[in-house]
Amino acid sequence: MLDLRTLECRTSVRTTVVGGRIGIRIGIGGREIVEDRVRVVIAEDSVLLREGLTRLLTDRGHDVVAGVGDAEALVKTIADLDAQGELPDVVVADVRMPPTHTDEGVRAAVRLRKAHPGLGVLVLSQYVEERYATELLAGSSRGVGYLLKDRVAEVREFVDAVVRVAEGGTALDPEVVAQLLGRSRKQDVLAGLTPREREVLGLMAEGRTNSAIARQLVVSDGAVEKHVSNIFLKLGLAPSDGDHRRVLAVLTYLNS
Amino acid sequence: MGKTPAPRRRRTPWPGDPRRTTLELRLNRRRDEENGTESMATEYGHGYGYGEEQSAGTGHRLPPALRAPFEARSWREFGYVLLSLPLSIVLFTWTVTMASLGAGLLVTFLGVPVLAAALAGCRGFGALERARARGLLRLEVAEPEPLRMRKPGALAWMGAVLKSGTSWRNLLYTLVQFPWAVFSFSVAVSLWTMGWTLLTYPLWFWVFPAYAGQGGIQLYGDEHHSVYLDNPFEITVTALVGLLFTLATPWIVRALTTVDGLMVRGLLGPSPLSARVVELESDRGVVVDTAAADLRRIERDLHDGAQARLVTLAMDLGLAKEKLHEDPQAAARMVDEAHGEVKTALQELRDLARGIHPAVLTDRGLDAALSSVASRCTVPVRVEVDLPARPAPAIEGIAYFTVSELLQNISKHSRARSAAVDVWRAADRLMLQVTDDGVGGADASRGSGLAGLAGRLDAVDGVLVVDSPAGGPTRVIAELPWRT
Repeated sequence: MLDLRTLECRTSVRTTVVGGRIGIRIGIGGREIVEDRVRVVIAEDSVLLREGLTRLLTDRGHDVVAGVGDAEALVKTIADLDAQGELPDVVVADVRMPPTHTDEGVRAAVRLRKAHPGLGVLVLSQYVEERYATELLAGSSRGVGYLLKDRVAEVREFVDAVVRVAEGGTALDPEVVAQLLGRSRKQDVLAGLTPREREVLGLMAEGRTNSAIARQLVVSDGAVEKHVSNIFLKLGLAPSDGDHRRVLAVLTYLNS
Repeated sequence: MGKTPAPRRRRTPWPGDPRRTTLELRLNRRRDEENGTESMATEYGHGYGYGEEQSAGTGHRLPPALRAPFEARSWREFGYVLLSLPLSIVLFTWTVTMASLGAGLLVTFLGVPVLAAALAGCRGFGALERARARGLLRLEVAEPEPLRMRKPGALAWMGAVLKSGTSWRNLLYTLVQFPWAVFSFSVAVSLWTMGWTLLTYPLWFWVFPAYAGQGGIQLYGDEHHSVYLDNPFEITVTALVGLLFTLATPWIVRALTTVDGLMVRGLLGPSPLSARVVELESDRGVVVDTAAADLRRIERDLHDGAQARLVTLAMDLGLAKEKLHEDPQAAARMVDEAHGEVKTALQELRDLARGIHPAVLTDRGLDAALSSVASRCTVPVRVEVDLPARPAPAIEGIAYFTVSELLQNISKHSRARSAAVDVWRAADRLMLQVTDDGVGGADASRGSGLAGLAGRLDAVDGVLVVDSPAGGPTRVIAELPWRT
């Protein structure tokens, strides 16, 4: 069973759907064999956290190419790496960094996404703001993540999110999604969804694939597909195949 | 540096300010209001920055008494008196004419506008007079409060002009200044001309025998007897008397213009009440700013400290959880590290809580709280708190943080071997003194923590005085209202 899904996902990684954790590695006898090493640059001013993140990602078999302490250094490092033809797959950046300790991380992320469309950017913060999410997602939801720092506690899920973003997927924090859902002016339409459909909508907005949603809710892929098409029907959205386009459609809908 | 004796300190924001009282006089320090900073004790003795011009050309060999007639300052003051008369005539005429016209017309609808015009004119003259005093007497008088108009329009403007106390005080100035200007003009011009005339008498006494048919100036004369100043002795004495007058005139003129200065300051400047309002407004700004800054600091401390540590901790525990089955030994090591992290996080939270408000201060008051602060200082600190009762909680808090900050400064910068904290009550003031035997050179004006402290104290009508000559020792005294 493992083998089949792995194969399926490994092929899908480079096409459209990102397979999530099962696509990344196979556990054999307690030892992990890394299938797809992701190259990461970490920007975080707290040395403690930077080292923690590095340890966590390295432990999962990924490459931490560089760790920097502020936004300027981040942009410069990425430019240098790009010049050498070694652009990393994903940047994990803190929102608040020196010198002003405000939203340097978000601004640097937006700049990087413009300059390097292939680069995944995962922004971490002590608190999430729907406004920052909107700024990050402006234009495209390809390779964007925005998570609470607390999420690093769930090591697996966090590493999954990093990999997902690295491979062009989306990872939005459930809190951002909750804010979007709560703030949306289309409450009457949302009220028309069944509780299960709302749950699926939330997970979809977080950037998860159908199979990941199925695993989370412990239902079959078919059931999720049915929910998804129902949701799209009720919201009056055109069904779309690509996950990240789907996320964007949902977010645009909620934000409008 | 030649200093003329006449100028005095003149920089309290308003004369009745209760804050600039005992402490300042006792320590003979001053606050430099013009720079908006707490001036330091170390600069005492550098002069008052007022009336210190050097007399042109005469050098410093002459004593001030002999130099005065040639000093630029004397000439400016004399010029002020000369200008006063024509100006005061204009002002007085304007006021008397317009005010009586306005008052006479009050029964018709014309009275009020005329009266308003009279007052507006007085305000304009007031501005002119302030400028004249600033230019010639070097007297800095702040603008009075502007007109407060609720809504635009000519009617509202008239109402505002008529209701403004400043307008009426300016009107009073034009009335009071006139007789004084006449008096001081007469005195100054008579003394000045007489002085120079008599002083130069030896140069022109020959005019009398040559053209007037007499020996010299006639001092006394009737049909039988006349006294003329014609022999060399009399001429010399005359010249000496002239010299005395010439030397005395500048001081007399200075005394006269001092009265002018008082009038300008008292009647054309901002009223004490409005000065106090301006001061309170700025104090309120400081309070709001410091409160916001404190909140930002606390948020920053939480964000960078405990929160970051807890995130790392969560991450470590997450990793350990994953490892639990695969590699129990590694997991145990991680849990161990996480345990250490928790303890550090707790410590940081405790420090942060103490930084917001120490519990012991609420429970036991300043004595216990200051002892606790002192015990964390890197140098031995003697603490003596002699208070009959506890002051208001807000005052206690400010006193605590003042001492805490000062002790931190001592730890960081002073290189002191010992320090002492004294707290006592003097009438309705809470007094703090923090001394150390370190290197000194502390300066509140250089945007340091001391400036922040001074601002905080100022906001509750407190005073901070720093006496810290280079080489030490340093003594900082703070005075706070008691407010039970």
